[in-house]
Amino acid sequence: MMDLKLSRRDFVKVASAATLFTAGLGNFGKYVKDVRFVKKAEAKEVEEGVKYVKTICLFCAVGCGILAKVKNGKLIGIEPWTEHPINRGKLCVKGASINYTVTSPKRVRYPLIKEGGKWRKISWEEALDRIAKKMMEIREKYGPDAIFFAGSAHTSNEGAYLMRKFMAFWGSNNIDHQARICHSTTVAGLGNTWGYGAMTNNFNDMRNSKAIIFFSNPAEAHPVSFFHIMEAKRRGAKLICADPRFSRTAAVSDLHLQFRPGTDIALVWGICHEIIKNGWYDENFIRERTYGFEKAREVIMKYPPEVVEEITGVPAEKIREAAYILAHNKPATLQYAMGATQHEVGTQNIRAFAILQLLLGNAGKPGGGVNAFRGHDNVQGATDMCVLSHTLPSYYGLSEKAWRHWAKVWGVDYEWLKGRFASKDFMEKKGFTMSCWSLGALAGTEHYDGIDQPSPIKMLFLWGHSTPSIGNVKAVKKAYETVEMIVVVDPFPESAVALAERDDGIILLPACTQWETSGSVTNSGRQIQWRDKVIDPLYESKSDIWIIFSLVKALDKYDPGLYEKFTKNFGGKSPDEITPEEVLDKEITVGARAIGMIGQKSWRLKRQKEYDYTFDPETLRSVAGPCKGEYWGLPWPCWNERHPGTPILYRNDIPVWEGGHDFRVKWGTKAPDGESLLSGVNGHDQMEGWTTNLETDYSEWLDKNMVPSGRGRARIFAWNLPDPVPVHREPLWTPKPDLAEKYPTYEDDVYGKFHFRVRVHAKSYQVAWLKKKLYEYSPLVWTSGRQVEHHGGGAMTRNNPILAEFQPELYVEINPEDAIERGIRDGDLCMVVSFRGVELGFTHAHVVAKAKVTSAVPKGVVFLPFHWAGVFEGKSYVERFPRAEGESGESLAPYAYGDTPNILNPPGWDPSTQMQNTKAGMCQVFKLEAYEHQWEKEGVVEDYRKLIKELIRG
Amino acid sequence: MPLKFLADVYHSPCIKCRGCEAICRNYNQVPEGVFRIKVVTINEGRPGQLNFPLQCLHCNDPPCMKVCPVNAIWKREEDGVVLVKKDICIGCGYCASACPFGAPQFRKGGVMGLDGKMDKCTYCVQPYDPKDEQGKEIFREPKPRCAMVCPTGTIVAGEQKEIVEMLRKRAAEKMAMGQLERVFLFF
Repeated sequence: MMDLKLSRRDFVKVASAATLFTAGLGNFGKYVKDVRFVKKAEAKEVEEGVKYVKTICLFCAVGCGILAKVKNGKLIGIEPWTEHPINRGKLCVKGASINYTVTSPKRVRYPLIKEGGKWRKISWEEALDRIAKKMMEIREKYGPDAIFFAGSAHTSNEGAYLMRKFMAFWGSNNIDHQARICHSTTVAGLGNTWGYGAMTNNFNDMRNSKAIIFFSNPAEAHPVSFFHIMEAKRRGAKLICADPRFSRTAAVSDLHLQFRPGTDIALVWGICHEIIKNGWYDENFIRERTYGFEKAREVIMKYPPEVVEEITGVPAEKIREAAYILAHNKPATLQYAMGATQHEVGTQNIRAFAILQLLLGNAGKPGGGVNAFRGHDNVQGATDMCVLSHTLPSYYGLSEKAWRHWAKVWGVDYEWLKGRFASKDFMEKKGFTMSCWSLGALAGTEHYDGIDQPSPIKMLFLWGHSTPSIGNVKAVKKAYETVEMIVVVDPFPESAVALAERDDGIILLPACTQWETSGSVTNSGRQIQWRDKVIDPLYESKSDIWIIFSLVKALDKYDPGLYEKFTKNFGGKSPDEITPEEVLDKEITVGARAIGMIGQKSWRLKRQKEYDYTFDPETLRSVAGPCKGEYWGLPWPCWNERHPGTPILYRNDIPVWEGGHDFRVKWGTKAPDGESLLSGVNGHDQMEGWTTNLETDYSEWLDKNMVPSGRGRARIFAWNLPDPVPVHREPLWTPKPDLAEKYPTYEDDVYGKFHFRVRVHAKSYQVAWLKKKLYEYSPLVWTSGRQVEHHGGGAMTRNNPILAEFQPELYVEINPEDAIERGIRDGDLCMVVSFRGVELGFTHAHVVAKAKVTSAVPKGVVFLPFHWAGVFEGKSYVERFPRAEGESGESLAPYAYGDTPNILNPPGWDPSTQMQNTKAGMCQVFKLEAYEHQWEKEGVVEDYRKLIKELIRG
Repeated sequence: MPLKFLADVYHSPCIKCRGCEAICRNYNQVPEGVFRIKVVTINEGRPGQLNFPLQCLHCNDPPCMKVCPVNAIWKREEDGVVLVKKDICIGCGYCASACPFGAPQFRKGGVMGLDGKMDKCTYCVQPYDPKDEQGKEIFREPKPRCAMVCPTGTIVAGEQKEIVEMLRKRAAEKMAMGQLERVFLFF
């Protein structure tokens, strides 16, 4: 085909002759016909002074491209980027109104400080100096671990990486971000099964699926993925939706499995049972590429569809039908998101999904795989950069070896780095997590005691993290009020600044949005795209990178030499001069070897962006031009600068140089029982030192078609997990006491004495729940999820006038039967209550929401979207938000606000990752007028509190 | 050649992502409360749920035009786009009752809307305020953004002939896979 060396100018010529171009690239034509106006869109109306900037959407992890329309340095609108290989101009409600988020009048304009109950405008210098001074004061008084840093998935890879590096140089592992409460169980579940904890395929690849089973609601959470899912459906794919609600995804699916929240494993085992019973599993695949099938079979055979029906509520017939569809339409893919991860058994849920795909032989195939849809635009990247308390960038862990590796990359002495920490022990000890940091701050108060570090948390950074997504909001609020200082760095006044009822000690720094800076972002499919700067930062806002470097500089005053060491690879330049390109090229792609993030240099990413139209949307491979052979986004592992990237993980039927890969050899070459863990097809061990050797470009191995991470087996049996093969465990708070006896939750000691520096329990809570028969008081299963118009904690969407208008309020979805029993009519205000908070000595949790009476939720289940803040237990706190100029000017309170439903979640945590449970709780709904604090009056709350105290002490 | 819209909910079910509503609001600067395009759901929350994007279909023989007492509604000859002259419109609302699809819109407030003018989908030819700073009427390229951003391909726009051709293709695809039980086209 067009195997010519074309200059950029020639390409422009070819591109402008649109008809010719599309005819020349075979199957591109299909899209052009199907997607109206692709051709015409290229010939943009020429407006004077208008320029279009190719950039990436700021919301979910699909990674849609958008053209930003800029005139005289101002963002005046957007246009569909019709050549973008992932979304071809398609946008959902959030992407289609994104410029209103960027230019929202609710943006924080200047650094603000709350002092004496008043907000005051201060300069950047003063703000940074105050923060640095406070940090040093805390360091001297309480040690480096008295600071908790909540990072963000809404920054670029470079920003996320620098956050982790910053805390490493500070000398504490108390850093975490959204991924902990998002897909940490994916990393543990998939990582423990086959090596990497990421989406195995990508969005475009779902077109190749013949069947898709959903365990989430992508129609509302990731709408643009439906561009590809609908294409699969048009090509004959069968869609199965497993969801407790009749969601919009269920509405377009062929089969809906409406199960009770928290019973995913049982449901999957029911399907697997049928597959094994009927001999529909892929014997060859299991023999050659997996380990431990026999052991899993014993467990799975205990879950015939009839038993599963009893647990999940899904009719046995439907389970059989689902198994039949999956077994007879290959390749089939499995998709999931938060609904599966946010449970005590989150890791095990994900393991069950992976095992289903292994049985069917769908792993490592186009159209197959386990597709974990991630939530934020760069949550995959921020996870890869490990803004996490238990590991260093690229999942190196916290061992001495890991520290030595990164010390080498950073060009600093290991001993010096060790000296920054309280001790070597603390250097290698996991820090607090997003789900339980509040306990770290409350330690020593009446609410909580006993953490695994000398001092409680005294200072908190909320760097692009929102409050509504964290569970146990009651404790979080108290923690906000207990710490000595809160630093919020955000484009919008995150609700923490107003939720905390305190007069002093809040500093709010205006970060710019990612459209006002540049950097690389990794979407859910591991595709790394370069996001260009659209406009200069608005007002006095600054980019995350600048703020981090400037903060280090401010610290340098009290801690001489820190800035020089921190910026060693960048020549000690000033914060204004260091570019994201340097951070990516000189540090990230040098050190992040364990995930193969080596070949993704900034110039390659930028070149792909320029030659976007040479990528075939079907295979995502460039067919001609300078990027020829590369896959879009150079999905990791991308072993060196000539490697095209690996769009499909574990695919062993193509050469490694073309994106071939295999299951990792991560747990040795032999299992404890002596069986080989090397693949039956060309199996080999991993390359010695492949994660720490900074010199190699792996080409020697790639030439021999060997994978540096080895060719191993996927572990169906994972001996290092609490349950080597997943088993059903009833949610901590369960409506079915009989099942809880039979399938109890984890014993308390599974978590060890301390779990990420706090003490957590499981069995004790469940025992108290059953003993006090709390399911009689709060009989409704509570679950949460997304609205299509809002995103995450909602700061970006509730401050967008279009989105706030489209979805102005919080609601509680309740089945008509349940509603009528309680005298609730559609639109009535309700009080939703749960027993959360009681275990910490608070009163129980309340949420006020409007009733949405709908049969989308079955009887006995209620659903609340979680994006909401601005109201706490029915009391609005919008007047506490700052104003634009501090005390004067426009109020920065969001356009739309509501109560925070995650206050209701049950006290459950995953033993592997401390994932919180925000998907399967229990609650009761009252009509607001009918609510009279019945539980307190009856003494239930007090009884429950006493029993928990006894049990835990025992 | 008349330009048309079609909501192909048979071959491509709409998932109500509301991208069309948002991009329309964004691109055409439509004020709050006015929806030139709106996704309507029937049977919400139960099997049979169907989402319809509804907007002006730029009829070949528009009933709104027939009933307009002041001849404010007109159809462009070259492409058949139905437009409204806002300085002539008196805001009587006859068009709204004549239209089978609820396309004519009035701004929130007052008996017949705040500014009393009818607004409707213009095929992206004109924004809400059809005059530029100099008072000259704006005419942009007829290229509807809702159809461009629709992820599921439900909203189809173009010349009627092309639309029918595409439908045929989609039907043929279904037939080839043995899925075509009935041909049931909305609108």
